[in-house]
Amino acid sequence: MSEINMDRRGLLGAGIIGAASLGLGTGASAKNPAPLAPGLTKADFSGAMKAFRGVVGAEWVFGDEDAVAPYTKTYIPDPNGYHKPVGAVCPESVEQVQEIVRIANTYRQPLWTVSTGKNMGYGMTAPATPGQVVLDLKRMNRILEVDADLGTCLLEPGVTYQQLKDYLVENNIPLWIDVPTVGPIASPVGNTLDRGVGYTPYGEHFMFQCGMEVVLPDGQLMRTGMGSIKGSTAWQAFKWGYGPYVDGLFTQSNYGVVTKMGLWLMPKPPVYKPFMVRHPNMEDTPKIIEAMRPLRVSSLVANCNLMMSASYQLAMFKRRNEIVPDGAPLDEVSLKKAAKANGLGMWNTYFALYGTEQTVAAIEPIIRAQLTASGGEVMTAAEMEGNPWFHHHSTLMEGGLNLDEIGLLRWRGAGGGLAWFAPVAAARGIEAERQTALAKEIVEKYGFDYTAAYAIGWRDLHHILALLFDKSDAEEHRKADACYRELVTRFGAQGWASYRTGVNSMELVAQQYGSVNREFNAKIKHALDPNGILAPGKSGIM
Amino acid sequence: MKRIFGPILAPTLAVAAMACAAPLLASQKLGETQELRAPEAVYAKTCGYCHGRNVGPIILGRAIPADTVKYIVRHGQNGMPAFRPTEVKPSELDALALWIEKSTARSGEHGQ
Repeated sequence: MSEINMDRRGLLGAGIIGAASLGLGTGASAKNPAPLAPGLTKADFSGAMKAFRGVVGAEWVFGDEDAVAPYTKTYIPDPNGYHKPVGAVCPESVEQVQEIVRIANTYRQPLWTVSTGKNMGYGMTAPATPGQVVLDLKRMNRILEVDADLGTCLLEPGVTYQQLKDYLVENNIPLWIDVPTVGPIASPVGNTLDRGVGYTPYGEHFMFQCGMEVVLPDGQLMRTGMGSIKGSTAWQAFKWGYGPYVDGLFTQSNYGVVTKMGLWLMPKPPVYKPFMVRHPNMEDTPKIIEAMRPLRVSSLVANCNLMMSASYQLAMFKRRNEIVPDGAPLDEVSLKKAAKANGLGMWNTYFALYGTEQTVAAIEPIIRAQLTASGGEVMTAAEMEGNPWFHHHSTLMEGGLNLDEIGLLRWRGAGGGLAWFAPVAAARGIEAERQTALAKEIVEKYGFDYTAAYAIGWRDLHHILALLFDKSDAEEHRKADACYRELVTRFGAQGWASYRTGVNSMELVAQQYGSVNREFNAKIKHALDPNGILAPGKSGIM
Repeated sequence: MKRIFGPILAPTLAVAAMACAAPLLASQKLGETQELRAPEAVYAKTCGYCHGRNVGPIILGRAIPADTVKYIVRHGQNGMPAFRPTEVKPSELDALALWIEKSTARSGEHGQ
């Protein structure tokens, strides 16, 4: 049995390494539906789908081309249509998930799990390898517990940030949520499992996770932390439980299906004061980071700082041809002119103070002095009232909801192309300076724009580049694919690997973390999931 | 390919549009799944974050045929994501599409 399994993994692995690394695809199209998983017969697939219908009902299993269509929409570069699911199954309970996993084992049908499937420039519901059925958990959208005193909640994967926010508001519970960019339609559970980040002091989402319920690949149900202790009241209060801490194993992985997750929620502070710091030149990057780092490390500034380039900001609400003519480079003179006309600098750094009148009043002068000395103009709502960029970021930094950044998708032509590139470095100015130079060189070689931001997390620096392209233009689509691969490869060669990536590049990024790490991940995978039925290819794990 | 996103309007108008879009609460009960939502709620909590707010085109008051609305919701168009039956239930979409077809324009919305 194990030889057969390893052969199957080998087929899957060869597929992902060959196709993902070289940009090859399956040739799938509307008239040529996506292929089944390696080793699966049509009878296996039909048998699995029939059995799925028996669990969730025929109306919640999708197999024909039209019904699967909503699961195939992506923003990422995928010029050869490699990342296409073959179907979807949508349970409404953990018992149904367990049964679906058992059926998948019987037929060896791989399942690609999504919660709300709205991670936008990372792949949405598209799988890393062909032949997978999407395990769509959106129907599981119960808010199971909210503890106003402890500031905790227990959620199912299909709950959106919007649902959670509405619940807190309607019930007058003074707790905040912490949203990623597309909060209204995204899942707190899904985003945390992808180790996404947000904008309040609770922005490092996995750090504020506490307790999980997981369907393991053999269908067993496991609770982490204190969740397996009968009568415990601390499942959402104490993260570590006893023995090895395993919650991290279920993030960015394919070792289980998380069906419940505990999260900590931030108490609403008495005072919330958002700031924006404008710097006039692209060359100011290192000065900003050197000024901000001590404020973050000391937690005088408690939330993640976003340093938004003028081009990223303008792309949210403008079209490229409003700044420069079609076909012309996005030159710095034009950018500066457009930025100034819209109340922006070439770098725009957003952070906030949270506390009481006294604490905010005490900290603000220290921060103002530090940032003014770096050459920045320190602005608040008093100066920025009515500015849509300030409004956007001040909304996010208090856990508010909007979808403004979807505007990025129409920057070039008919739009619809976006891939996030997110390499990590230590929070040092010199590294950012080098990263910006390298990123500009690569994207401009392919005719794309440097639309990027830096997030100063705590001691880390995330460079977040939105590779924006017109997906309706086949040539541009192919260039975006090549450009993204060059970004990953050349940044990796400098030691700047990504903290998160789309399904189009999971294998490529995994290669950069080395063979020992990959073998460790694979050993766990093979032990837990010998049939390889859960999300093969997720984070490069087969 | 048809462009769906419109020209960009003055930043202040975008802010004004946000202020005009009063949230509709969903009344989800603890321990229960989300109930079916009225078209106004689906629009406010999903469509209306982009359409009429300077991100997507205006869709209210344009007599867009219900079948067109349903197709675009399920397939996405250009920069718009697709929404699955698990996100916008089939009966919710039927009602939403008809509601959009019959809708009148809102003065606070902006876009193409």
